[in-house]
Amino acid sequence: MKKQIFLLLPLALLYAQKTATIQIKGMTCPLCTTAIKKSLKKVEGVKSARVRLNTKRAKVQFDDDLNTSILLDAIAKTGYQGTIISVESR
Amino acid sequence: MIQRRHFLKHTLLALGGTTLLPSMLMAEEKTPKSRKFKLVFDFDLHHDTQPFPAKLWNPLPQYTGYQKVRTFVFNGNYDRFEINADNPYDADIFYAQWEKGNTPKQLHIEMEVETFYRSVPVARIEKFSKMHLPVPQSVKRYLEPTAHIPTDGKIKAKADELTQGMKDRFEKVRAIYNWVTEVTFRDPAVIGCGKGDAGKMIESGYFGGKCTDISSLFTALLRAAGIPAREVFGIRLGASHFSLALGKSDKHGFADITTWQHCRVEYFIPGAGWIPSDPADITKLELVEKLSHSQPRVQELKKRYLHSWEMNWIGFNHARDFILSPKPEQYPLNMLGYPYAEVEDEVLDYYMPKTFRYHITSQEL
Repeated sequence: MKKQIFLLLPLALLYAQKTATIQIKGMTCPLCTTAIKKSLKKVEGVKSARVRLNTKRAKVQFDDDLNTSILLDAIAKTGYQGTIISVESR
Repeated sequence: MIQRRHFLKHTLLALGGTTLLPSMLMAEEKTPKSRKFKLVFDFDLHHDTQPFPAKLWNPLPQYTGYQKVRTFVFNGNYDRFEINADNPYDADIFYAQWEKGNTPKQLHIEMEVETFYRSVPVARIEKFSKMHLPVPQSVKRYLEPTAHIPTDGKIKAKADELTQGMKDRFEKVRAIYNWVTEVTFRDPAVIGCGKGDAGKMIESGYFGGKCTDISSLFTALLRAAGIPAREVFGIRLGASHFSLALGKSDKHGFADITTWQHCRVEYFIPGAGWIPSDPADITKLELVEKLSHSQPRVQELKKRYLHSWEMNWIGFNHARDFILSPKPEQYPLNMLGYPYAEVEDEVLDYYMPKTFRYHITSQEL
């Protein structure tokens, strides 16, 4: 029984995550993507972040209880402006 | 297997040298003054996570009338490499790739280069400018905008204002050059050479920047005025004969040039060809030597850099807002004056050579 609980626990954690797609304004060079990615990854509760220059979008995986405005703040700290396009639960 | 790989690398190394041979055998121009330098790039790529894969694109000097690559050797522990110019600007690039692993990712590129003092006499430029010859088809692309070099909006309005009533191309160049060198200033707080976003600069009305910013503004205004123009990204190699502000070396002619990237400009006058110019170094001279724009020393350099370059510098390419080959994860690339590397989709900070881990040196020969 204990074993089953331990097996289910990681799954439950996985389902408690969300993925946000964020449009980023003002990003003009590849290095901008690194600055934004690093800033997003510093936020507690962010599991992964991918930033693309060609689409000017970021995909951020984060804990369910994290407010998306914190993600936008992290982007703003690097000098860029983000807009949430969508948030999906996993 | 190891032996075979070792053999292949050395064979390819030899082939790399061979590909440059026809160019090396070309007759030299009758240029009065030349300088020779040994230029060395060393990479030992670093990333916080281990193991990691890496891809590196390093700009190489363009082989042209005012600079020659005399010898070229390289070695490293890369898994794949290629030398290509497969991009819209024919920018020469050394590409190296390492598979995911814990082993160091090292590359050493060494070359001997010869540079020739470059100046186009003003009388020649004026003569051809008065002829109003058509712009050749091959040069027309340098009238077009890019993401960082807009030719409309406030750039167009400023170019029109500065060249109002002028028909002669060189007269227009002078007017724009005078304005750019007077209004811009070197802002030491700008990272690296600056992003070179001419549109942002004119929109903001803040004209502080570094060489790519100032060169891009000059280029954008020239294009908007109908004068083909382009930035030339490169690196300072050693001592300037005009000012230590524009390049220096130790008493043996050696210089650590890791952070000496420098962007210049060329504009095109049909008949006279591409003319070298360097508005950004006027502002650097002013800042470093604490001179005002009107002082004779600044005016002297300004006069020279309308139509010449001191060649203690070597040019890589004039590529802007383009896609490298092989295609990186992040694109388009703003410019390639610095080494560019990716660890998966993450770009290594080329403004931080100590964390990126590259080192560039020059020895005057």
